[in-house]
Amino acid sequence: MSVVQNNSEKAKWYLPGILGGMKITMKHLLKNLFNRKKMISLNYPEEKYEYSPRFKGNHVLTVKKDGSLRCTACMLCATNCPAECIKINAAEHNDPTVEKYPISYEIDILRCVFCGFCEEACPVDAIRLGPEWQTPGVNGANFIYDINHLAFRPNLKGGILTHVDDEERHKQGI
Amino acid sequence: MPKCSINGKEVEVKEGTSIIEAMQQSGDRIAHYCWHPGLSVAGVCRLCMVEIEGNPRVQIACNTMVTEGMKINNTSEKVRDAVKWGLDFHLINHPLDCPICDQAGECGLQDQYMEYGKYDPEMAEPKQRKHKVVDLGPTVVLDSERCILCSRCVRFTEEVTKTNELGIFNRGDRSEIGTHDGMPLANKYSLNTVDICPVGALTSKDFRFRQRVWYLKDAESICNGCSTGCNVKVYYNKEGFFRVKPVYNEKVNGHWMCDEGRDIYKFANKEHRLLKGQIHTSSGWTETHGGAAAKAAHEVIKSTAADALALVLTAQYTVEEFDAIVGTFVNEFKTKKVFFWINNKETFDSFDGLLLRGDKNPNTKGLLKVLDKHGVTATWGDLSQGVASGAIKTVVVAGPENLSAFPDFTERVAELSKAQNLIWMQADKNDALKNLKGNVWLIPMKSFTEKDGTFINHAGLEQKFKKVTTVVSEALTLTEAALLLAGKNLMIPPAVGEFLPANQREDQVMLEMRKKNEFVFKRGSL
Amino acid sequence: MAEVKLLTEFYHLDDFQTLAGYKAKGGYETVQKALKMQPQAIIDEVKASGLRGRGGAGFPTGMKWGFLPKNNEPRYLLCNADEGEPGTFKDRMMMERAPHQLIEGMIISAFAVGSNKGYIYIRGEYTYPANVLYKALKEAYDAGLLGKNILGSGFDFDLDVYRGAGAYICGEETGMISSLEGLKGQPKLKPPFPAVQGYLRKPTIVNNVETLAAVTYIVRDGAQAYRKNGTEKSTGTKLFSLSGNVMKPGNYEVPLGYPLMDLLMNEGGGMKPGRKLKAVIPGGSSAPVLTAEEVAKANLDYESLAGLGTMLGSGAVIVIDDSQCMVDMLGVLTHFYAHESCGQCTPCREGTGWLNKILHSILEGKGRLQDIDLLLKVADNMKGKTICALSDAAALPVLSFVTKFRDEFEFYVREGRSKVKGTTYAEMQH
Repeated sequence: MSVVQNNSEKAKWYLPGILGGMKITMKHLLKNLFNRKKMISLNYPEEKYEYSPRFKGNHVLTVKKDGSLRCTACMLCATNCPAECIKINAAEHNDPTVEKYPISYEIDILRCVFCGFCEEACPVDAIRLGPEWQTPGVNGANFIYDINHLAFRPNLKGGILTHVDDEERHKQGI
Repeated sequence: MPKCSINGKEVEVKEGTSIIEAMQQSGDRIAHYCWHPGLSVAGVCRLCMVEIEGNPRVQIACNTMVTEGMKINNTSEKVRDAVKWGLDFHLINHPLDCPICDQAGECGLQDQYMEYGKYDPEMAEPKQRKHKVVDLGPTVVLDSERCILCSRCVRFTEEVTKTNELGIFNRGDRSEIGTHDGMPLANKYSLNTVDICPVGALTSKDFRFRQRVWYLKDAESICNGCSTGCNVKVYYNKEGFFRVKPVYNEKVNGHWMCDEGRDIYKFANKEHRLLKGQIHTSSGWTETHGGAAAKAAHEVIKSTAADALALVLTAQYTVEEFDAIVGTFVNEFKTKKVFFWINNKETFDSFDGLLLRGDKNPNTKGLLKVLDKHGVTATWGDLSQGVASGAIKTVVVAGPENLSAFPDFTERVAELSKAQNLIWMQADKNDALKNLKGNVWLIPMKSFTEKDGTFINHAGLEQKFKKVTTVVSEALTLTEAALLLAGKNLMIPPAVGEFLPANQREDQVMLEMRKKNEFVFKRGSL
Repeated sequence: MAEVKLLTEFYHLDDFQTLAGYKAKGGYETVQKALKMQPQAIIDEVKASGLRGRGGAGFPTGMKWGFLPKNNEPRYLLCNADEGEPGTFKDRMMMERAPHQLIEGMIISAFAVGSNKGYIYIRGEYTYPANVLYKALKEAYDAGLLGKNILGSGFDFDLDVYRGAGAYICGEETGMISSLEGLKGQPKLKPPFPAVQGYLRKPTIVNNVETLAAVTYIVRDGAQAYRKNGTEKSTGTKLFSLSGNVMKPGNYEVPLGYPLMDLLMNEGGGMKPGRKLKAVIPGGSSAPVLTAEEVAKANLDYESLAGLGTMLGSGAVIVIDDSQCMVDMLGVLTHFYAHESCGQCTPCREGTGWLNKILHSILEGKGRLQDIDLLLKVADNMKGKTICALSDAAALPVLSFVTKFRDEFEFYVREGRSKVKGTTYAEMQH
């Protein structure tokens, strides 16, 4: 970084600039003091901002009707992820119609940029960005979300049902 | 030598060359699935269509021989249309499960579709259902729905291994590849069928679902599984090595390699490796840096008399390394007690007629050459006697990389541990070494994927190979170990006799190479 | 013109089946004559007669024999009696009524091409003809007509009957050779052609039953006498298997060039009362269909039918009257080809199945109008793209049925029922 030194005459008249700044600050202070209803600040965490339902927040892994994960471990989300925060380990499923499934699915939420590319890339509606946006945690490990958290965290109430059903697709001969 | 013109280009080919071979020679692209240079012509995929002047119908290039003055064209509208529809016929019953298909990323169907595809599917009827996840044998899994029945695998078992396990059963669009009851695909070359499968129908149980192929880089190397020295490509990423595939070399392995050789990546991976130098004294094991362990070993060698010092070599290192360490022993330590550890003596000369040899070392010829050069004539009997009688006090061992090829490993360790000081250099960890008592120095060595060098195969063919990547950063090559054992420091070898452009380092990776290595997966000519 | 009975002259006699009965009518006299001739003279005679293969493709027999390499390599003579083409049943009658006629023809042909081993590859379903042949072969061996040193001429010829297992594709010559070799019955890539590298990779000649039987008569009467029947390019007589909606279906031997309408009206006894001719498939199910107007112009020879865009094929004339639904008929054909495709070449394997699926979705009332054009497109792209002609055989009927009777297909797609019968697929009798 370089510092520019302005030694001109005009630069010596700094007081009017400071006073101008103070004026704006005072204006907001007075406005908020006498009209508290229009105040922009929220008393978080007592008050929370409500985003639109299409807000791209924390990820959700959807489940099939039988409660198992919809994810086929194709790794297209991981491939597409610009932050490289998705890590999947695939394994062979006992059911030949399912064939491949993830034994671990981890999202490093601190690296995630919430771009939603994973959702876009998913061919089977297995991952969605949900409306939750709070990601508290106490240490580094808390920010790596595993299958248990992504699909079955308590506020998902047993999992979100996917739109894409293999059995129906097979019946249609796809 | 007939001359022909391919897409307007004049090409001269050998007598009896098919059009498709001529096109490979001239560098023209042509769609094909069933044709494989190492197998007979089946002519069933009907994709390699070409137009020959004077012939109203398009012809297949794989079964038409080039004749003098032939005018061949595969860029005309007629040919493109034929290929487009040929591809569509392949695809109408092919499942759209690329996301979970292991072949995705290196799939012939995907490649060809990008170039010749119809992009307007008209198939509205239900697809033909076939068997999924069919267990063909100990190594291969079949998905019949993905199979395009190019019959490459069937011809492979028929013509190359001559074991005839595979066949096409049923007919029409109900055709499926399969094995007869109780006759699994269990030959020693079965995984070649996975390589030549242009789609994801045959997948290797070992590699299945472990990685998507676009996460892998590849580099060429030499298989160190036996003395044939097949040319291979190892696929790896930062998590380690994942698979090995053959690379065509007419003089050595042709298009194929054995299943045993495909396991060689396993012992190069971190979980099997000796990661640190270890020193055992009366107070137990202490862990040090690999180089430090070698330097500590130097102190012992220094205090050992020349005729109480012995070197044991396995034929698993490169010629350059052998030369360095044998040279050090002969010239610096003034001892000719250098011994060749011969493993599986009974099967040493056996050969299965195709590729597999009983000599499970990549560089036996090379070791013998180096021993010969330095005039070493010692036999194993001298060593056993010397160690047992206490005449040999310090033994330096360059242990094997591929432990599975050394059934006598534990026995030998026990035999050599009778020596007062044991300096053991090896890439892989092993319980027999961990349980050693007395004065032991364990020095981690580099595997064949981590160093440059030369192997001399059974036929005396010298094959140079290059370093692929580094897995264990502390590991040493035998050359480095020889320097350290002799009490010298590691030096960067000076570049000699080579003129390099001023703006380019020798190891500089050019942008083109980078692209090829990391992002573009060259499928070769297969 | 009327029937000319050259081959079938004595077929009405029951004992023509036996060696004694066959000999009584002059049988095995020609073979004695032939064995005294030069083999090349016989080939020249057959060439001069203009005899063309009766199995379907109509390739000149003499020319085919001429392709054999001129050396002493062992070679094989195979008789193609795998009569699988829907609508054809002439070979069956020939083998049932006159097995010795075929055997005699084969001995002469084998002598001409220099083969010492022959096989009759007979269709698996033909149990009775096979048994007749077994019996006739035994008689011939016992009489010294087969085996070592036939009739003291020094010529050896062994003949066997090989029964197929019921695959249509084994009627294709290389498919038949594969089957005979004990492999899966699949056509082989050409080149090499069988005449150069066929059965067991030795030069091989494959001829139809009728072709081989006709050789006897060419040698007996001479080429010029044989040429008296038929036209300039399509010489001799041919058996036609007349079937379908006529009064008297059956096998009729007529000279080539015989008007198709005459065959229907004279030999066939005309249409059923109150019915009108709608279409004729002139050469087995693989041949493109002819409409009633085209039938009036058609003569039964290779050139005339080729001029109308169809083919003489194996001579199976299938007559269709106005009570038949063309969509339903084509459904039967596509099902047959989808079932019989060997599955080797992709366009045929997938194409026949696709055509069948489209057609059955039309038949079941789920068709879309664009499906009709799709049928044409698929069939057009299957044509001429495969190793053997089965792909063409499946595509040609589709192309001709759909282009010539498009109104029926469109009606079916729109209404979900047959235009002619007025019923849906489920209501039709199958």
